[in-house]
Amino acid sequence: MSLSRLGGVLKFDSVKVSQCSALVAKLWGPCIREVSTSSSNRAVAQHNSKPDWNRAVSEAEKIVGYPTSFLSLRWVLSDEIANVALHLRKLVGSNHPLLKTAKNLIYNGKNNMQAWGLIVLLVSKAAGHSPEIPDMEQDKAAGVLHSQRALAEVTEMIRTSHLVHKGLVNMNTRLGPGEPDDMMFGNKIALLSGDYLLANSCTELANLRNQELVELMSSAVRDLAEAEFLGERDEQNNPLPSRPLPLHQREEASEWDCILSPLPMSGVSGCMGREWSARHVLAAGALLGKSCSAALKLAGHGQGLQTQGYLFGCHLALAWQAFLDLEAFSGPEPAYFSLVGAPLAFTLEERPELYRYIEAGKRSVHDVDYHALYQAVLEGSGIEQTKHLQNEHVTRAREVLEAFPNCDARTALTNIIVAMLP
Amino acid sequence: MACLSSSRLCARVQDKLMCQFGQKVRRQTLFVKLKPPGPSPLRIFGKTCQRVTTCGPACGTSGTTVTGAARRLASSMQSTSTGSLPDYGTQMVDPYRLLEDDLNGIYEDIRSSNRESLRITRPWIKELERNTNQPELNTIATYYFDGQGKALRPMVAILTAKAINYHVYGENSALLPSQRQVAMISEMIHSASLIHDDVIDQSDFRRGKPSVNVLWNHKKVCIGIECLGNKTNCSIWVAMAGDFILAVASMMIARLRSDEVTLVLSQVVTDLVQGEFMQLGSKETENERFAHYLTKTYRKTASLFANSVKAVALLSGADEATCELAFQYGRNLGLSFQLVDDLLDFVSSSHGMGKPTAADLRLGLATAPVLFACEKYPELNPMIMRRFQDAGDVEKAFELVHKSRGLEQTRFLARKHGLEAARLASELADSPYQKALVVTTDLVLNRIK
Repeated sequence: MSLSRLGGVLKFDSVKVSQCSALVAKLWGPCIREVSTSSSNRAVAQHNSKPDWNRAVSEAEKIVGYPTSFLSLRWVLSDEIANVALHLRKLVGSNHPLLKTAKNLIYNGKNNMQAWGLIVLLVSKAAGHSPEIPDMEQDKAAGVLHSQRALAEVTEMIRTSHLVHKGLVNMNTRLGPGEPDDMMFGNKIALLSGDYLLANSCTELANLRNQELVELMSSAVRDLAEAEFLGERDEQNNPLPSRPLPLHQREEASEWDCILSPLPMSGVSGCMGREWSARHVLAAGALLGKSCSAALKLAGHGQGLQTQGYLFGCHLALAWQAFLDLEAFSGPEPAYFSLVGAPLAFTLEERPELYRYIEAGKRSVHDVDYHALYQAVLEGSGIEQTKHLQNEHVTRAREVLEAFPNCDARTALTNIIVAMLP
Repeated sequence: MACLSSSRLCARVQDKLMCQFGQKVRRQTLFVKLKPPGPSPLRIFGKTCQRVTTCGPACGTSGTTVTGAARRLASSMQSTSTGSLPDYGTQMVDPYRLLEDDLNGIYEDIRSSNRESLRITRPWIKELERNTNQPELNTIATYYFDGQGKALRPMVAILTAKAINYHVYGENSALLPSQRQVAMISEMIHSASLIHDDVIDQSDFRRGKPSVNVLWNHKKVCIGIECLGNKTNCSIWVAMAGDFILAVASMMIARLRSDEVTLVLSQVVTDLVQGEFMQLGSKETENERFAHYLTKTYRKTASLFANSVKAVALLSGADEATCELAFQYGRNLGLSFQLVDDLLDFVSSSHGMGKPTAADLRLGLATAPVLFACEKYPELNPMIMRRFQDAGDVEKAFELVHKSRGLEQTRFLARKHGLEAARLASELADSPYQKALVVTTDLVLNRIK
């Protein structure tokens, strides 16, 4: 949501106060609007069958007060973001991916970033907190601690920062005439905006005065950076799966029970399923898991529950990823889809000869014959296996939830998870 | 926040003072010009500096040259109440030599070299390498830590740590492992920001070697560590490597388990980014512009010096006044360092500096020499506003800066901060480290690259 306000700030010259309320309305706009349109559309079809995603999210938001303090006015009024907004205007019309990232942050429906902070807050509320925590530090109305709210904000800032940095354009790839200047400028703004978010999360974390927490969350930032280096890449750093190896050529896989040290990579390359997990643990699971774990730490829960929190976040993120991967195969055939999605990973595992299609994308993923791969996925058992994988992660995540007392926050989390199931 | 606003205030005061300074500078230049061979004052300092850096601690003669110069400076500035320098005459201390043992491991520690022997002889944490299982990330992230940099920040941090430990605990004090960590962290934060600057500036050279970006663009083999083949995902990878270094540095900070130190060092990161944002814009009026420049300089450069030095002071358990003294020492040293840097951008050849001359102008940045030159040549104003983008702007501005007193004035301001840092350092208990802190201010002022 960092950049969601940019749209509003572009008209910065008018009175600030009225801008604020307009901005807040704008920020709230997307989720409210989506809920009202999509849920009314689907209400008929899905009446009482199972919770709708958007409804599950918006109900959950009510439970913890408001999504996160990320939308605070302090944020809306910061000089740096106003600055970015002014510069971003110059990019309109170019096709720098920063614009797309900014747009996605606002409108990206189910991949909505807001949900990340929301889940941290729901976990916080569901687990409750130790009775020793003074009243001053609690947000009684929402049932979470102020520190947990700050943490949820940090989670979103870290994630947004990563997305923004990921959207940098490689200057040495083939660009059209006049594009380099735009791209250069876009890169500069993207880099600075991401750095700004990262610096802010450093300060926010430092203010929590809990060094174990700082270490844990910093390791999540490290994991996100690592994720961008995993496996094969095309020239624009779009990920490609590694070549599937026959079983006897694979390295022995190591345990992944470490949280603070980096994820071991042995046995990842060539093993499609494991590569999928490693990629998404680093790119998503680590941050969500560590944030949930950190939220429980702030509430004074023991190490055991903190670990459960980590597992919950990780499994939820993976289930979520599997769900997103499946979306490409649930509607009409898309022009492009993720080459590192689970359905394709399982298909490649079954039919390693399909890897020749992937090799065609070494320069750019756009050179890949998506149609052929799409057909191959539909013919094989990739989709079935992905659903199975998703179920597995959902089950594991729900198991963790069982440990929490029955309350509205737990129900909300369950609803979000169930809404994801196919 | 307090320090920021005070620096802003200070910037404004300095801005006003500069007019008075201007005249004194003129008198001083006259003095230099009357001397027989008549080289420019900068040349004098350049030569002295060379001698200082090449000789060991036992170099009495050149030591006195510097001291002489410093004393001359001090006397010429006495009217501005900077106080007189302590007479360290023959006891010239080379800070790098003094800390040889402490500094040697710094780069290896950060970079965690592959050599097994280093692992054994340097038992401290091989941070970056330990923190990734991705070979390319390891290569990019460790690219800058090749031991060729000046390691000025860790040097100052360790020196201050030792001087303050001595100040607080006397003879039997030793460098704390946590203070050493802060020294490493300061260099890591600095490198992370350099790496990100590379994405932004696309500057071709850093520290005399091709910047990461260029290197990856040109698919060069990476300085013998390892060839990355045709993988050229430069911008994203470089940005990620910066994030990675920052993350590892944050983890190290957190492991010191000190709330205060974490707060102080996180302030550095915020300052760096805010400084970068300030660099995007400029101010309309001259007065505002100079204050803007000084605040930016504090945030982009001096904050790291000031806060890392403050962090080691906090770790030593010094009282609040001493921590503040350390902070101000770092702040003044950092400002002086950056002012000299901005000055060298106009006088140093691309060879000596490791950076093309007038690189700042080419990046559209108006630094102190230009801002000073503006007083005499108002035609620089529109050029500053359009960030020297029109054809011939850079050359014209370069020429005007050399015709004006901009360079002298910048040198004067740098000296003023250097002397203030030296004065602050001399308030600490007398020790070789304390002396080295004073010498460091000279090294920073008189460096040629």
